Amino acid sequence: MLKYMLFEGGLYKHERILEFLEDVGGFLVQKTVAGLDLIMNLALPEEELEGLSKIVSDLKGKLTYAPLVGTEIGVVAPTLSRHHLPHPACDIAENLRRHGAKTNIIGLSRGVGQKIVHTTTKEKELIEEHDIAVFTLGNFETCLLKKTRLFNEIEVPVIVTGGPLMKVIQGAEAYVGGIGRYPERARTGETIDRLREVSRVAGELVEERRREMDLDPLVVDPIIVKGEIERQVPESTEALSPNPVTLKIDGVRVKLLYDEYKDRIGGVDIEGRKLSEFATIKRSLMRNYILVKVLPKSMF
Amino acid sequence: MGEIKIFVDSSDEFGGQQYKYIAEKSVEDLGLGGSIESIGMVIRIEEPVFIIAIRYKEVTGKNTLGEAAYIDSRKNGIRVTLSSEIFLGDALKALWSKYGRDRVEQIGRLEIFVSGGDPEEVKGIRLSEKGYDLESRISELAARIIPEGFRVRGSTKKKGMLTIIASEDPITEGWRKLAAKLEEETRA
Repeated sequence: MLKYMLFEGGLYKHERILEFLEDVGGFLVQKTVAGLDLIMNLALPEEELEGLSKIVSDLKGKLTYAPLVGTEIGVVAPTLSRHHLPHPACDIAENLRRHGAKTNIIGLSRGVGQKIVHTTTKEKELIEEHDIAVFTLGNFETCLLKKTRLFNEIEVPVIVTGGPLMKVIQGAEAYVGGIGRYPERARTGETIDRLREVSRVAGELVEERRREMDLDPLVVDPIIVKGEIERQVPESTEALSPNPVTLKIDGVRVKLLYDEYKDRIGGVDIEGRKLSEFATIKRSLMRNYILVKVLPKSMF
Repeated sequence: MGEIKIFVDSSDEFGGQQYKYIAEKSVEDLGLGGSIESIGMVIRIEEPVFIIAIRYKEVTGKNTLGEAAYIDSRKNGIRVTLSSEIFLGDALKALWSKYGRDRVEQIGRLEIFVSGGDPEEVKGIRLSEKGYDLESRISELAARIIPEGFRVRGSTKKKGMLTIIASEDPITEGWRKLAAKLEEETRA
């Protein structure tokens, strides 16, 4: 089983890590360079972790376990108005990214009020394109309890955040209190701890999903699909969108236009088989991108 | 600048405290600290209704530079002394467009010197098309604080006081009485 790790350190001699990954069959998921600093999201076989730790310690870097690496999380705000954005949705999204996730922020058209609140079919489909959805709700317990219809029918795991310090909320896998509607950036230790709690809970849900998937594994690990798409369709790495081939738990999102590239993506050769033979390739509701979902072995 | 009094009467205590914090920060964001005297809120989330009363210092709209500043002649031009800093941006903009940047110099926090200007002409210069619109900023403040889902709104405006009742249902007589009481408390 692959272990997902986050490396934080300097650029100096980081090629040693890349060479090691190549040798042991590991993968580089994402590489971010900021000046002389470097952050890399990595995946490698669990048994090779000790070897990697030695190199990282030689390079005076930091290596942390990050289950959120290789996931795409949707942070859903009730609307796109200043009441709900940028804080706290952006704070939550930023903290998830710090833990390795790729995030998208979604604003609903009618996520407000106790009576008019609802999620449209299109919004539901868009949210379900993600591995996990985080709904950022407000400060009143009564309101929160009436807004469960926002996420009741969402089929991916849902985390709800809100002001009241309740333990659970019906219809969601987890609830994190203490993050309601607030009008400025989270700066105090207490609020930042709540943001970390969201990332921790999301990490647990991802681990659980990956454990479940181990019982019926995918035909090919999505990380291999990502690598092959990048190699065989070089345009995918040149797309201007951030993270042009985004890794998800059960597939990838390729940020190229569906109509122009669907056949080439479907024709990518992986271990002697075409990608379209063991994965569904469909149009994403997000900017007509391509959504690839690898099928489990039990379907063949 | 005196301290702004903000009080909340909420059926949900935790939510009420958060809204007090939201009000404080919204006043800060809009730079209205010097204009607001007090803000009162009544929140009955189970009904649901949100009432806000904002008491503010009225600023008379100044349309021309003559109304907003004291103007006196000097040796090579005229000196404009503004009565308040809030007119500074508009005054500079108006003078620059009339005389050009070379002839207009800001010599102090509230003072502008115009080389070779005619006092009568300067007095008649319009500050801006609309003038300083405090009331629209007070309305903006209320809109930022009130929960977005409460779209049925009824507002009353009296001298230096704006009260808004917001809900999802048609506004009842009981809420109007509650608003009148809140208005009194905010004025006190």
